[in-house]
Amino acid sequence: MKKDNTEIYNNIIGIPKAISYYNNYPFYFGFFKGLGFDILLSDKTTTKLINEGSNYVVSDTCLPIKVFVGHVINLLEKGCNTIFIPSLQSTAYKVNNCTKIRGLPEIIRNVIDRSFKMIEPTLDKTNNISFKDFCYDTAHQLDIFDENKIEVAIQYGWSIYNNFQQMTLAGIPFEDAIKYAIENKIVSKPIEIVKPLSVVIMAHGYNLFDERISMSLIKKLEKMGVKAYTGLNVSKQDAISSIEKLGEIQYWANELDLTGAAAYYMLNNKVDGIIALSAFGCGPDSLMVDEIQYHASEKGLPMMHLTIDEHTGEAGFITRVEAFVDMLIRRKRKILKDNNNIKRLPSSKREQTAKKDDKTVSFV
Amino acid sequence: MNELKQRKEQKNRFFQKDNTIAAKDRIVAWPRMGNIDLALVALVSSLGVKIVEPPPNTNEALEIGVKNSIEGICLPYKLNLANYIMALEKGANTLMMFQAPGSCRFGNYTKMAQKTLKKLGYKFDMVVFDMYQSKMKQTLQAFWHVTRCMNPYRYYKGFSMGFNKAFAIDTAERLLFYTRPRELNKGDAERCYKKWYKIIRETNSVLGCKRLKKQVIEDFKQIPIDKKKIVPKVYLLGEFFVLLDPYANKEIEKTLGDLGVEVERQIFFSDWLEHVLKPSFLYKKESHRERCVRFAEKYMKRAIGGETIETVGDTVFASKNGIDGVIHIMPFSCMPEIVSQNILSKVSREEDIPVMSLVFDEQTGKAGYQTRIEAFIDLVKRKKMKSKIKNENKKEEMLAKC
Repeated sequence: MKKDNTEIYNNIIGIPKAISYYNNYPFYFGFFKGLGFDILLSDKTTTKLINEGSNYVVSDTCLPIKVFVGHVINLLEKGCNTIFIPSLQSTAYKVNNCTKIRGLPEIIRNVIDRSFKMIEPTLDKTNNISFKDFCYDTAHQLDIFDENKIEVAIQYGWSIYNNFQQMTLAGIPFEDAIKYAIENKIVSKPIEIVKPLSVVIMAHGYNLFDERISMSLIKKLEKMGVKAYTGLNVSKQDAISSIEKLGEIQYWANELDLTGAAAYYMLNNKVDGIIALSAFGCGPDSLMVDEIQYHASEKGLPMMHLTIDEHTGEAGFITRVEAFVDMLIRRKRKILKDNNNIKRLPSSKREQTAKKDDKTVSFV
Repeated sequence: MNELKQRKEQKNRFFQKDNTIAAKDRIVAWPRMGNIDLALVALVSSLGVKIVEPPPNTNEALEIGVKNSIEGICLPYKLNLANYIMALEKGANTLMMFQAPGSCRFGNYTKMAQKTLKKLGYKFDMVVFDMYQSKMKQTLQAFWHVTRCMNPYRYYKGFSMGFNKAFAIDTAERLLFYTRPRELNKGDAERCYKKWYKIIRETNSVLGCKRLKKQVIEDFKQIPIDKKKIVPKVYLLGEFFVLLDPYANKEIEKTLGDLGVEVERQIFFSDWLEHVLKPSFLYKKESHRERCVRFAEKYMKRAIGGETIETVGDTVFASKNGIDGVIHIMPFSCMPEIVSQNILSKVSREEDIPVMSLVFDEQTGKAGYQTRIEAFIDLVKRKKMKSKIKNENKKEEMLAKC
């Protein structure tokens, strides 16, 4: 039995559905397909999976890492024996990632005591390990040394990633975008229903788009009639330039999802409020949220900070979101009233005629 | 290249150096960290600038820091901020701080502190030593900006005195760790250390500072000790600030010494100073970091920022050099050390060395740690006895065979 299993899974790479999956999966998909591998994804995040993951690590570790470990275990239980765990150290000179993301392969290697093959390339632009080296390293670890093949695979990966980005920038939800991108399609923007309120959610992809971790926050907001913008709807250039406009420097590699998005929408006056969603004990987030809170209070924009961990109950979560949305509605109504943008409906015919006269006079 | 240039420009824009304060009016202060004051006071005062020393770290100081900082930030920042505020209230107008971007949240400290202090309404000039761009050049530039001191002899005097004082106090500390568990009259070593701390602080000449180290060694030699006593050795490692600051780690070295344990600390301030300021081509022997990378090879393939690789490497090193236990200390929610905590459990299993992790934050009480440390030391002692008996049995067997 075991032999069959290994033969079946020989040509398959497992990708855990956590951390960098939510930012880079389209590229990984295209790249590995180009190299001639199939991809096995782990299951959706469940409470059981989180519990399983947190059995392996120290209790102080943050939720996303626990989830990641859980996904790796899930892949191993499925029988996959080659797992892709990249170490994304820095994405530009001295723009580093969080230590835990940088050390993902180290954590997994020392925490999980099972034998499997780990593909662990490093991306570290501070030490001159470029993205090309990252891709070559991946291929070399899979015993592929044909340069032409690797180049073609990289190009294929980029083409799929570009499709994905084009769709997300146009405002297509994350899951649909990934689905269409993998099918090599580009779908144009759906007709947008104008919603009375809009909010920007500043959160990492791995927190926000994982429905168990974020308790499907986006869908809940949409049900309440609130349009939610995310970091995926802002291009990288816009995000960086708007951070600079606020007078800040990009310090963390994955900062653009949070401060970039929040700064962009804050400067464009497109949103009525900001919701920050971060995992408990997240080091970078504690700083970034503080940074944005400082600027938001200067601009008079309401902001709510939601902290989540594995024990967060859904009921308390909903109440806070609802209260925040209620507050936003009231605030918006008051602003419109103050600016005389809402006209009181005329109660009698007399008033109507009087108003009409007024208008004509004013126009003349 | 373009990116690099951009980033440099950004940085210069952010840390605009304030030239309005004349060198005469400057009153300099810096955050506390263990015995760092001794060396820095000698250096800066010999360059002819007034100094304000923030009051020592206490619970009240920490409270000020906690009040003015955000919830999720780590302990060292809270203490640093408290130091700044207290120094500014004492009349300081220039704050000094070093930073190393790219390691962890530490790279953001100065930026945040600047913002917070400006919000509180203080006026000051913050001088930042960026340790990663260029070591010696940056340091000299920063000192030039603060002091405008042209006299090279004064620089020589300051650096020589500062270095010698740092070496002397660290030697004293090392000897204290060695002597405390072995001393015959309890309290001798502590008294000697305190005496020398005072003398080192007050010495004010280049020659006098150069002699300090020898005098310290000679004085410690005179304390009567029990040389035959079997003393378990514990390696103390972890986060840099908590390791060096006696308030932050609740004087863990003293607690251990009183329990009859010899402490070996991972890093001393002078070691670090040498490592940071010396150009790399002057290094002839293997540096601390290289040694750690070599020893940690089995568990880690890359450095991931912070002091993770040092922690892991030193644990392996300790297990191979006759040390009986490792105590790993860190502030709450320290990102690099959480990773190393995860790795250390495997290291402990495979290298057969007991490891205990202690987490410090502002709510830490000393009593809770006391019991944990005592239990751990009991374990270490018992393990040592067991291995000793085993060795003796082996010897007897060998002798019987012969």
